[in-house]
Amino acid sequence: MEPAALTLGQNSSGAGDDFPALLRRRGLLAPVPTQAAPAPCATNAAWVPTQATTILAFKFQGGVLVAGDRRATAGNTVVFDRADKVLEIDRHSIMAIAGVPATAWEMARVLEHSFQFFRRTQLQEMSVDGKVRALSKLLRDNFGFVLQGIGVVVPIFATYDASADPSARLYFYDAMGAQFEVTDYAATGSGSPAVRGILHYENNWGKKPLLKLSEDEAVTVALRALDTAAEADTATGGVDRNAKIFPVIKIVSREGISTLPEKRIAALFKRSVA
Amino acid sequence: MIEEPYRWVEAIANRAEYIETQLAPGSPIVALGYRDGILFLTLGRTRQKLFEIYDRIAMGAIGHPGDIERLRMAAIELASTEGFTRSAADVSLRRLAHYSLSPVLKTAFEQVYGAPFLARLLFAEIGAKQENDLFLRLEYDGAIATNNSTFAKTRQDFGALSGTRQSTELMDGFLTAEHSAGATFERALKLGLDAWTVGHLALGDAGVKELPARDKILAERKERLRAAGIEAAILERDDKIAVRYRALAEAEIRSVLGD
Repeated sequence: MEPAALTLGQNSSGAGDDFPALLRRRGLLAPVPTQAAPAPCATNAAWVPTQATTILAFKFQGGVLVAGDRRATAGNTVVFDRADKVLEIDRHSIMAIAGVPATAWEMARVLEHSFQFFRRTQLQEMSVDGKVRALSKLLRDNFGFVLQGIGVVVPIFATYDASADPSARLYFYDAMGAQFEVTDYAATGSGSPAVRGILHYENNWGKKPLLKLSEDEAVTVALRALDTAAEADTATGGVDRNAKIFPVIKIVSREGISTLPEKRIAALFKRSVA
Repeated sequence: MIEEPYRWVEAIANRAEYIETQLAPGSPIVALGYRDGILFLTLGRTRQKLFEIYDRIAMGAIGHPGDIERLRMAAIELASTEGFTRSAADVSLRRLAHYSLSPVLKTAFEQVYGAPFLARLLFAEIGAKQENDLFLRLEYDGAIATNNSTFAKTRQDFGALSGTRQSTELMDGFLTAEHSAGATFERALKLGLDAWTVGHLALGDAGVKELPARDKILAERKERLRAAGIEAAILERDDKIAVRYRALAEAEIRSVLGD
C-alpha cells in the first residue's frame, strides 16, 4: 500500500487555514469572485454606492461608544425601522455597518466565528491587529460583488485591548478593505458628512474634547449627531419621537461590551436633546 | 493473511492491547457537574489536556498528542461549521460523538493496515438545566460510554477518564458514591481532586485494585498537589453569555483550595 503523501501545505492545526477558507472548502461561503470579470449588466456604469444609514463611533473617557440609527431602506422605501447595525463580534469587539445588510450581517457572522475558531484551534486569542486584518480580508474578498453593484459594506470596527496603549482602538474601512485607525472618531453611511462635522466641532471647540467626555455626555453627543444626520438624510432614522425608537448605542470598555438600555437613552434624550 | 477472519480478529486484539499499553500511563481527567456548571480537572502540566470545542462543549483527552490534535480539530471544524450554517443551539455533543467522531474512530481502529487513533476522549456539554447536561467518553475503537453503564441508566452528573479501565472504574465508583449534583464549586473541586487521586493511585502495575481509604487519598492528594500543576476549566451555566467555556488560572483554583 502506498503511504499517503504528506504535504507541508496541509496543516491540520488550521494555522494556515482561516475560518472563511474552511467554509469555502465545504461550499458554505460564496467563492471570491474573480475581479477580472466585470458585471455583465449595463447598469454598472450608473451604479452609485448606497450606504443608506448613519453609524458613528468615538472614544470617550470610558472606552469607545458606537452608535447607529435603526432605519433600513431600499431606494426611497423605508423597509424596516428597528434594524440593528451595531453588532457584537466578541466580548471586546464591535462591528457597526453601513451598506447592504445581507452582506454585512453575513460578514459579521463569519467574523464572529473566525475569532472563536482561531481561539479554539490555536489555543490563544487573536491579536487586535489580526482581528482588524480579518475584517479587511473579508471586505477585499467581497469587492468583486461590490464591482458588480451588489453587496457594498463599509464598516467601523471598535475594540478594547487592555494590554495595549491606547487600549481603546477604533478603525474605519473603505469598501475595498483598506483600514484606517483613527485617534478620536469615525463615521460612515449616507448621513456621515453631517456627523463628521459635528464630531469635529465638538472635539475641537466643544466644552471638552471627546476623549474627556463622561458616559452621559458622550451619549448626548451621539444622540444629537444622529438626530442632525436624520434631519437632512432620509435614509437615516435618527430618533423616532412618535414610535419611541431610539438608536442602538453600545460601549466597549475594559469590562467588555455594554448595550445601553432603551430607558436610559430615552431619559437622556428627553433631558438634553428633545 | 489478514483476509482470513480469524487472523483479522487476532490482529484487532493485538492492536487493542498495543493501544491500551500506550494509553496506560495517561493521567486521569474528571468532569463534574455542580450547582453553577461543569468543572473539568486534571493534574500535571506537561501539555494542555483540556480544550474548548464549542460554546457549550468541552473536551479532555489522553493519548498521543498528534492523534488528539486531529480529533480535536475535526470536532471543532464540525461544530463551527454547524454553528455557522445553522445556529449554536443546533450544535450537539450527542450528534458530534455518535454520528461523526465514533464512526471515524471505529474505521481507523479496524482498518488494520492503517494507523489507529491513540486517544481516549472525555466530553461534556452543558445544558439549560442540570438534567440536560451530557457527559460521554469516547474510546479509541469508537465505543461511547457514559459512566460505565447503559445509556438509560446513566447518571448524567459526572464523567471520568483514565489510562486504564481499572482506574476509570474505580473513579466511577468513587464518584457515584460521593458526588451530588447540587455541590458547590469548592466541594466539586475538592471531590474532583480526590477522584483524580483515586484514579492516579490505580494506575501502573502496582496500582490499587480497591478503593483506598480516605486518609490515604488525602495524603496522596496533598503530595501530588505540591508537585504538579492543576489544569482546570469550567462550562458556566449562564444563559446570558454564548461562550460558556472558561479556563481557570492556577492561582484561582489554589485560592479556593486554601493551600
